[in-house]
Amino acid sequence: MKRILADVTAFGRQYLRSRVGTFFALAFPVILILLFGSIFSSSGSPRVPLAVQDMDMSDASRGFVQALNNTTLTTYQAIPPTANFQAYMRQHSINVALQIPSGFQATLVQAEMGNTSARVNVTLAGDPTQSSFGIAYSAVAAVANGFNLKIANATEVVSVGETPFTVQQFGYIDFFLPGIIGFTILTTPMFGMTSICAEYRTRRFFKLLATTKLSKAEWLAAKVVFYVLLLFLSVAIMMLVGIGVFGMKAGLTPVAVLLIVAGAFEFTSLGMVLGIFVRDPGTGEALANAIGFPMMFLAGSFFPIDSMPSFLQTIARALPLTYINEGLRATMVLANDATAFTYLLVTLGFAVVFFAVGARGLSWKSK
Amino acid sequence: MASRDVGPSRVVGVGEHVIEVRGLVKRYPDITAVDGITFEVNRGEVFSLLGPNGAGKTTTVEILEGLRDPTEGEARVFGEDVGTGYRRIRERVGVLPQDFEPFDRLRPREAVGYWGRLFDHAVSDNEVAKIIETVGLADRANTFALNLSGGEKRRLGIAMALVGQPDLLFLDEPTTGLDPGARRELWTLIGDLRRKGRTILLTTHYLDEAEQLADDVAIMNHGKIVARGSPSALISQFGGGTTIVLAGAGRGGYEALMARGIAAEIQGTDVFVHVPTASQVRPMLAKLASIEIPLTEIYTKRSTLEDVFLKLVGARMEEGVLAA
Repeated sequence: MKRILADVTAFGRQYLRSRVGTFFALAFPVILILLFGSIFSSSGSPRVPLAVQDMDMSDASRGFVQALNNTTLTTYQAIPPTANFQAYMRQHSINVALQIPSGFQATLVQAEMGNTSARVNVTLAGDPTQSSFGIAYSAVAAVANGFNLKIANATEVVSVGETPFTVQQFGYIDFFLPGIIGFTILTTPMFGMTSICAEYRTRRFFKLLATTKLSKAEWLAAKVVFYVLLLFLSVAIMMLVGIGVFGMKAGLTPVAVLLIVAGAFEFTSLGMVLGIFVRDPGTGEALANAIGFPMMFLAGSFFPIDSMPSFLQTIARALPLTYINEGLRATMVLANDATAFTYLLVTLGFAVVFFAVGARGLSWKSK
Repeated sequence: MASRDVGPSRVVGVGEHVIEVRGLVKRYPDITAVDGITFEVNRGEVFSLLGPNGAGKTTTVEILEGLRDPTEGEARVFGEDVGTGYRRIRERVGVLPQDFEPFDRLRPREAVGYWGRLFDHAVSDNEVAKIIETVGLADRANTFALNLSGGEKRRLGIAMALVGQPDLLFLDEPTTGLDPGARRELWTLIGDLRRKGRTILLTTHYLDEAEQLADDVAIMNHGKIVARGSPSALISQFGGGTTIVLAGAGRGGYEALMARGIAAEIQGTDVFVHVPTASQVRPMLAKLASIEIPLTEIYTKRSTLEDVFLKLVGARMEEGVLAA
């Protein structure tokens, strides 16, 4: 135990004196939280800029635009009635635009007076594959439907109510932060250990250590202890930023704490497994990137796994990070500790296997 | 814990061989790096493995340090087989590996303390300070290793190797790549350690280093030991004794000597007369003085390990380093 503590102290001193390591472990996750939190949290749902060419310039068309504004889904930008609609969009790099034709009000009046064949089309232009187009389409369709109901003098029979499925009323940041914690659990120990193994091999530190009483398992255990402490520091900073800047409500639970410990154990060990194959810092970095980047996106750190195609969901279920991300969300947001505990056991299973393979496979000696 | 210093080495048994190597072989698919060598190292001596790059010195040392497994043969340190019992002897051994590099962001005092704890030695700050002072790094004790010079880094490596008061030190090419001043300083340090009774296995490809420091030298070439003995014994045995140099004697001087039955060599305008033993030098000088030879200078030159090498290994010197 004394040897492990000695190695934790020496390694910790070196790590924290390295600006690069400290930046990626402590500052980078905070930058991500501030960036994504600002985009998605601080202004509520994002508004889509919608340019409108009102060719009618009537009370009815202005009412339509006002109704769009009231949806809080779009922001209004005017296209002059005399401009060529599509040319104006291209010249001003407008993604989504609505054209209200002349005669809009007159058609509505005819309909109100009982003319069942009265029709008018508003035109929504843009790229249908973009999410902003979908949001604008929903807003325009909802307003048009409202106008139709009013003209028909009908009442809404089926309506949609909202109720939170979580224990508390959570915001975007509460769902996002567990993913960032998972991302940090992946990147800090795994990328760190892979590059450490490469450096220790090329600079012959492994040979030097092999002449001491420190065993490989003790060395790895020391790295696990250090990364657990570092991750708790990192998570504490992230939580403070989440609470202080974005009013985050989700908090650390006992199972979340255990998941962070198990995750550090798991990805420190995985880094050592990768270290078996690296011979220099260049290959170490490439290997860590090749494993780490697909995993961080596929395992639901930034995007929900359920939104992925089914074959990617199958892959995601085989990734160790998935169980940390899902486990943290389950316990921190959904208060579902039973599921989180199951994912904790899965994580520990991965960790034990990686530790055994790493401690056995990584050689400090020469052939 | 009792105060620890870097004083005399612990007694390991009178007459005991600290290292015993018998028929050691290390074979790779494409090369036999060590080819059946046998030697032993006595307590308190500096034993040098000397040879050109690729001779098998580092492979031999790394087998003795438990870092490589031998293909055949026996290697024992303190009577323990290094393949199976190295764990029992590692705290009695200090290692400075070839091309030693320290941990960049640790200060010497931190690195020495850390290294001691890896051997289960609870080294106090005072003990760390003493060790650092021993290797002459006292005024650099709080400098990041990153900012130490090459010589200072090697000194730090020796300080780390000394931390557990080891009986045996492996110093693998400790001065390679250092400037002449730093080399001389390390020689002084190694000499001090020898005087304090440490047993040192030193590998080097510097002839002058082996000649200066070693009590016993094994010359390695192509994985074999081609000669063994003290530097002076090797020089006496293989170096050709003493050479009398007749500078500027030229072809006329050479022919005059040959006419009188004195064996000589000529290189350029200088004529060389080899004298096998020291007792024959004076009579030969008297004999030469009796011959009328035009010359600019006359002096004697003792053979060196370089002469031994030229004879045994066929190696040549390039800037003081043996080339393969």
